[in-house]
Amino acid sequence: MKTIGLISANYGSSSFGALLDNRTLASLPYGGRYRLIDFALSNMTNSGITTVGIIAPYNSGSLIDHIGIGSPWSLGRKSGGLFLMPGSAYGVQAAGSRFLLRDLIKAKKFFERDDADYVIMSGSSDVWNIDFEPLIKQHEKSGRPITMVYKKVPRGEDYFGYFLNIDEDGKVTDIREEAFGWANYFADCFIIDRDYMLDFMSWFGPLEYMDMIQIIQNNMDTMDLGTFEFRGYLGKIKNPADLLKVNQAMTDYDIRNEVFCNPERPIFTKTQDEAPVFHLPEADVRNSVISAGCRIEGRVENSIIFRSVNVGKGAVIRNSVIMMHGEIGEGAVLDNVIADKYVKINDGVKLYGGGGEPIIIGKEKTI
Amino acid sequence: MKKKKCIAMLLAGGQGSRLKELTSSIAKPAVSFGGKYRIIDFGLSNCVNSGIDTVGILVQYKPLILNKYVGTGESWDMAVADGGVHILPPFAGETGGEWYEGTADAIYHNIDFIDIYDPENVLILSGDHIYKMDYNLMLEEHVSRDADLTVSVIEVPWEEASRFGIMSTDEEDRITKFSEKPKEPDSNLASMGIYIFKWKALRKALLEDHKDRDSEHDFGKNIIPKMLAEGKNLIVYRFEGYWRDVGTVQSYYDSQMDLMDNVENINVFTKDMKVFSNSNIYPPQYLGPNAIIKNSLICNGCTVYGTVEHSILGSGAVVGAETVVEDSIILPNAIIGRNCKINKAIINEGVVVGDNEEIGSADGEVFVYGKSKLSI
Repeated sequence: MKTIGLISANYGSSSFGALLDNRTLASLPYGGRYRLIDFALSNMTNSGITTVGIIAPYNSGSLIDHIGIGSPWSLGRKSGGLFLMPGSAYGVQAAGSRFLLRDLIKAKKFFERDDADYVIMSGSSDVWNIDFEPLIKQHEKSGRPITMVYKKVPRGEDYFGYFLNIDEDGKVTDIREEAFGWANYFADCFIIDRDYMLDFMSWFGPLEYMDMIQIIQNNMDTMDLGTFEFRGYLGKIKNPADLLKVNQAMTDYDIRNEVFCNPERPIFTKTQDEAPVFHLPEADVRNSVISAGCRIEGRVENSIIFRSVNVGKGAVIRNSVIMMHGEIGEGAVLDNVIADKYVKINDGVKLYGGGGEPIIIGKEKTI
Repeated sequence: MKKKKCIAMLLAGGQGSRLKELTSSIAKPAVSFGGKYRIIDFGLSNCVNSGIDTVGILVQYKPLILNKYVGTGESWDMAVADGGVHILPPFAGETGGEWYEGTADAIYHNIDFIDIYDPENVLILSGDHIYKMDYNLMLEEHVSRDADLTVSVIEVPWEEASRFGIMSTDEEDRITKFSEKPKEPDSNLASMGIYIFKWKALRKALLEDHKDRDSEHDFGKNIIPKMLAEGKNLIVYRFEGYWRDVGTVQSYYDSQMDLMDNVENINVFTKDMKVFSNSNIYPPQYLGPNAIIKNSLICNGCTVYGTVEHSILGSGAVVGAETVVEDSIILPNAIIGRNCKINKAIINEGVVVGDNEEIGSADGEVFVYGKSKLSI
């Protein structure tokens, strides 16, 4: 059955300070060479979906620069391909809304013009590698108009978003914003019959200021919602501490193999064609991820270094994320720091983030 | 269609048999180089960096990996509407088909291809040299001196001159004589196998050479002497810089080590004359808690738990715990187990080395290990 995809990138967060000054959550650099939206896009293309719409935010410059015409995901096509659709300028209230109905109504033509049976809707800020084909099969078999993807998470763990109450038939009976005794965490992803999506827009048009999930939540008794359990790694990033933690997850053998090194489902991204990493005789790198084009003369531990970063002699980088084109001076020490693109740390500067939130250094700053 | 000032024809059909196992399943231009590159990247990148957007790639020996690697040429910004890269294998006509018999014969069989673009000049390149060169400078000299043929030359030490094709010149750098590997050279200007011809002059020479039954249909041995004898305007262009023909295992090894040992000679780290490649998308490299990496080039997709010193690890290579890799080149996707010793060896592409193996030679000669299992 034909399935198309829609990725929502029109949401942000106020928790990231300078990191989101000029970009959306979807285009936040991650994992040495990726942007967060790479995961949603790669999941779509790796599952055989060749028509993908993206609801773009008002500050979409960095997103468009990254995605281009979608060629890294094989979406630069004549038939189908990539559709960038501007979302609405959300207010403060809807800033975190993944599936704002107004944005979906604005994108109505995307749903109308295709003859697909189903649409997979996905957020754009999670780190995961999911095969949608079993989801599509299960959805088709169930006959339900919507199937929601969830992950069982340990109780009490600090997740945010929606939790699903599920009965023995796999049907959603309630959606809550806190985990009350159950922990079926909604993965910001669902599949919906395309016809049902069009009906949904006309039924609930007056509630366009609301998130689709909120509307579903308020109309639970009229909705027949199926569920699909995702058992793999789901990296949620809601603040800088998560950003560091989910970056460091790349050093975990199992997560690295599952998410990044699956030869059947690689994570695609824009390529920059950098040279190999040059480790000089003074380099000392432990349990870290280093991207192409770097030049390493110092010590790096438990850290993620993006492409074309220079680490000077005697510099020490610990538990940190250094984004592309960083210049770390000789003898500098960075501990628990997230440095945005083109940050310059002068020789001998020492920054310790302590045990709490990492220190954030904004784009192009010199310290 | 806008008339092209110059298109390039890149000779990529040779077997490169002196590279032994490295070319057992792959054409020499497609052999891995410097971890993430393949040899042909240097020629193709030079073209795009010189503003040449139309390249015919003449293939013959085991071309499948090369064809797949070059693809549409998009990786070298050559997926252009009016031009781009064209893979040109031998093909059949009304009277049957033939293999390319020599460098000039390969171009002869593609006269129709060049005529489609009807360029003023044709640049002939080898697909197996490592160098960075702006062909525009050579083209400018060729055009301003109204040459029929310009041969790019490099000064070599006199004692090595007898290993090259040597150009003798007059005081105005006009070619007076060409001698292939002369015993007593009277010049130290070695031909780099890079030629710019006026297309009209080359076309005529190729048609005549094809009829000559005694000819070996080779640029150096036949076309250049023939044009010299006809009194055509043949000049040299003096190239100064790094240029290597990676014809042997030793030169293949040495020029890769130059990427880190002699960065000032051949710099792949600079944006200036950038070397492009068509690499798969790998995650960034992961270096384990006890990894030791010194003085090495490591590519995306590598995983290292052991020790790597003065070595190059190609994309996706894996080095197990307690393994020591020294003075070696691990080609892409090779996997080395635990507790191995790899010394002055080249581990072929995709080869799996088990645990507790010792590979390499103490006598200083570079050792090529394994038959490549390619996946690109």
